[in-house]
Amino acid sequence: MNNILAIAHKELKSYFSTPIAYIVIGFFALLWGYFFWVMLLYFNQQSQLGGLGGGGSVDMNQQLIRPLFLNATVILLFLLPLITMRTYSEEKRSGTIELLLTSPLTDFQIITGKFLGAMGLYAAMLGVTVIHMVLLFSYGNPEWRPVVTGYIGLLLMGGCFISVGLFISSLTKNQIVSGIVTFGVFLLLWVINWPASFVGPTTQSVLNYLSITDHFDDFTKGILDTKHLVYYFSVISFGLFLTARAVDTERWRG
Amino acid sequence: MIEVQHLTKRYGPVTAVDDVSFTVERGEILGFLGPNGAGKTTTMRVLTGYMPPSEGKAIVAGYDVFDQPLEAKRRTGYLPETPPLYPDMTVREYLTFVARIKSVPRNDCTKRIGDMMERTRITDVADRHCGKLSKGYRQRVGLAQAMLHNPDVLILDEPTAGLDPKQIIETRELIKGLAGDHTIILSTHILPEVSQTCQRIVIINKGKIVAVDTPDNLTSRLRGSETMYLQVDAQGADAAEALQRVPGVTRVGIADARDSVTGFEVDSATGRDVRRELAAVIVGRGWGLLEMRPMRMSLEDVFLQLTTQDAAAQAAPAEEVTHE
Ligand SMILES: Nc1ncnc2c1ncn2[C@@H]1O[C@H](COP(=O)(O)OP(=O)(O)OP(=O)(O)O)[C@@H](O)[C@H]1O
Ligand SMILES: [Mg+2]
Repeated sequence: MNNILAIAHKELKSYFSTPIAYIVIGFFALLWGYFFWVMLLYFNQQSQLGGLGGGGSVDMNQQLIRPLFLNATVILLFLLPLITMRTYSEEKRSGTIELLLTSPLTDFQIITGKFLGAMGLYAAMLGVTVIHMVLLFSYGNPEWRPVVTGYIGLLLMGGCFISVGLFISSLTKNQIVSGIVTFGVFLLLWVINWPASFVGPTTQSVLNYLSITDHFDDFTKGILDTKHLVYYFSVISFGLFLTARAVDTERWRG
Repeated sequence: MIEVQHLTKRYGPVTAVDDVSFTVERGEILGFLGPNGAGKTTTMRVLTGYMPPSEGKAIVAGYDVFDQPLEAKRRTGYLPETPPLYPDMTVREYLTFVARIKSVPRNDCTKRIGDMMERTRITDVADRHCGKLSKGYRQRVGLAQAMLHNPDVLILDEPTAGLDPKQIIETRELIKGLAGDHTIILSTHILPEVSQTCQRIVIINKGKIVAVDTPDNLTSRLRGSETMYLQVDAQGADAAEALQRVPGVTRVGIADARDSVTGFEVDSATGRDVRRELAAVIVGRGWGLLEMRPMRMSLEDVFLQLTTQDAAAQAAPAEEVTHE
């Protein structure tokens, strides 16, 4: 455990000693803030209309917070590759992988450490958005439950992307290649269920199941479904497993 | 302490290391010598558990590096060819990280790091970023990293590459001082280095061991004869004839001639000391003996002889010492 934390700590520190962490957090704050503002304008307009008509109820959770979470998905597609692209690639390029692989560490410890390090930065990124939530809670009275499950969902969904990104990073020495491929794969995973409504029911359910982002929807509604939890944890484990396979294969090939 | 048995490592079609076997005793320093691409780094990478062998096995500190990698790695310190430094960490941060992943006890950590920085003389760059260090300093930080957890076995891939002459001597002394408590394998291209630091030398070429011996034995054994250089104040042809007749002399060659002074190379059978007879003959003829010294083959010659292809075939007898 100590070894895992040592690696995670090292990863996290290296993010913050390069511009990466600041760029990622900065952009995330900017985009999230922008979405927040746009949604707020829209929401205000809706609530005024609602107020005038006296009929339809306005729901801050449904009309402000949920769209905000769903939009965050798109930001992640762009920013998470920046977090994962260097994890393995850079170690391979600079030769520091030789230190890790000849130290008394298991592959599992190294991979988990790297994963947790990236998750740490991701969590810091999400941390920024807590400010917006605090604002909402102080000026309105949204339900807290969908907010909490939303964050859990965001963390897990991001975890899936990070574990896939880690795997891709373990395949190449070149962090640019790693970043671009990761971004491409994320996009594919995002759009994979777009044709779902035009195909047969079996294909449809398969596509929906494969879509990492689709599973996130229930979380934004305040539902914590074991089905989705199991799915996210399996994807994360599978990504980490593939990374372990890649590292081992690389070792044999030399 | 280190036992390498029939080690073979292939990269796809390239056989980088081919059926290599040798052992290193506890406390010994073994020099690993070979031209570029000989397979030194590859052998070391297998020994440190960085990559598994294609065939054969390696036992380090009593543990098979493949079957019990963690145990073996705990007892091994490794300085790779390029020191594995993180550019964004300061030297102290870096060593602290290394101490953690090598399970150096927490309470011992600061002291050990300070100690190691003293020994490798990097204390004055302790708070500089690794990425901003000069090549020599990187090398020294790499060395500190390898020794940090006080391993039984040290594997150093070209530890003095990139160091200035003063540093080379200091590092050499440092390494020598470590022998006894530590078992060391170091690779190098610098021949004087092995003769001064190592008790035994493995010469490897194209993945195969061509010789394993002490530096002294290597230089004398390969020759098959001993050569003496003589400078005599006499006419070349005359003197050559006279010297040729001395019992035990197998060959006389003229090395240089200037005015009335001639230099000779005199070969004699190994183990036969003909210096007295040679001197007696020369003085008896009334010539002046200006110089007489043994010409030992330098390690450079040995190395070149063993690693250039034709000579490798000639030096076939060296094969018999391959597996000791
Ligand atoms: N990762 C690799 N993939 C393919 N071939 C490799 C790889 N690493 C080394 N080789 C090949 O294996 C052979 C031995 O290389 P190695 O690095 O062990 O030599 P070396 O003795 O350390 O040389 P040097 O003195 O230049 O450091 C070379 O022919 C090299 O081209
Ligand atoms: Mg090498």
